Amino acid sequence: MKKEVVNLTINDTPYELLVEPQVTLNELLREQLDLTGTKISCAAGECGACTVLIDGKPMLSCCTLAATVKGKNITTIEGLAKNGELHPLQKAFVEHGAIQCGFCSPGMILTAKALLDENPNPTREEVKSYLAGNLCRCTGYVKIIDAVLAAASQMNKGGK
Amino acid sequence: MFRTLKPFEYFEPKTIKEAVDILSTHDSGTKILAGGVDLVPRLRKRQIHPEYMVNIQQAKEMNGTIEDTAEGLRIGALASLRSIELSPLVHKNYFVLHEAIASIASTQVKTQGTAVGNLCVATPASDVAPALLVLNANFRVVGPSGEKIVPVENFYLGVGKTVLQDNEIIVEILLPKLQPKTGGAFLKLVRTAADIAKVNAAVILTMIDDTCSDVRIAVGSVAPTVLRVKKAEEILKGQKVEPKLIEAAAKTAAEEVKPISDLRSTAEYRRETTLVLVRRTLSAALERAKA
Repeated sequence: MKKEVVNLTINDTPYELLVEPQVTLNELLREQLDLTGTKISCAAGECGACTVLIDGKPMLSCCTLAATVKGKNITTIEGLAKNGELHPLQKAFVEHGAIQCGFCSPGMILTAKALLDENPNPTREEVKSYLAGNLCRCTGYVKIIDAVLAAASQMNKGGK
Repeated sequence: MFRTLKPFEYFEPKTIKEAVDILSTHDSGTKILAGGVDLVPRLRKRQIHPEYMVNIQQAKEMNGTIEDTAEGLRIGALASLRSIELSPLVHKNYFVLHEAIASIASTQVKTQGTAVGNLCVATPASDVAPALLVLNANFRVVGPSGEKIVPVENFYLGVGKTVLQDNEIIVEILLPKLQPKTGGAFLKLVRTAADIAKVNAAVILTMIDDTCSDVRIAVGSVAPTVLRVKKAEEILKGQKVEPKLIEAAAKTAAEEVKPISDLRSTAEYRRETTLVLVRRTLSAALERAKA
């Protein structure tokens, strides 16, 4: 099959890649670029573990063909920490015990980032509703929601 | 479970005409790709085996614009479910559609998935389809012989089946203007927030004083296609709307549906809850029509 040339930016780094059309963005990230922070779990668009930000919006890398993200700006969990400093959401997840096995965390944190970028001051109900597409089998969600609210309040205070 | 997809030939047409030409040349074994949230998992599960994939996102006439026109609201076929849910025009004038999309749980699926994609999958459990049915929506469709308008009411033929040919593409959804004193409502019954509907119902109701001048009721997940329950509508039309009449209409709706038992629900339960959902959507729509 003819390969597609895909120019895109991942975590502020520009790439020019050759991909087969049937390769998903998830495979491209994990297998071609070794960015294994992005997980894959259900592979059916139901669990949110594979979430990445495409032009700032939360999308499912398991349901996205790599050939369709030409020119896009992708953020994965590897792109959140800056200069060795964790993002406030990452810090809050650690501090609140919102990470147990950790498999849902990259998708959960990126979806939460999209929420806080859209709505810096969400209510508890808004957090729950926005994160409804991210499944966690460990925490029971309470600590995750606490962490997102704590990060929001920290970021609103100008904290890093 | 398979992790990877089987190879296919990939096209990125720059115009609708080019897309239709590609679809016409390779008439069997082609698939149209927009959001991909339904299509890609089905490819992975080997439920479909297309040889040719046509990504219509780059065709210059395709867009996701939502705009008011003289005839009503125009929604470009690439509009994501979430952009429709968040549209102030939809919220203000077509609340039933906002409510239907808001009931879908996953932010990611709604961000990536298009309403038109959801409709073309033709699942009887679609939450978007009942809302569009009661809104009397039309599709503008482009094919090899030009353009045509297809009412959503004539769109569905069965589970996974629509009147669209393999080389036809929906380019926009058109929602006619609603009468004054019209209220709408959507409700669904699910096991968990992220699950697919066991039953759903949408209503549009127009009142003149205390009398119902027009009403449309649609239900999903209770027949091979989403369904207008027209005998129930007839009970209300031209009548003074009172709780007793709403109950009678809801009862008739429950008699009109043809549910099956499957992993989500039993036929009996679906019939019983159709009555409840139709009653509740009618009551909510009535309140909103009066407001």
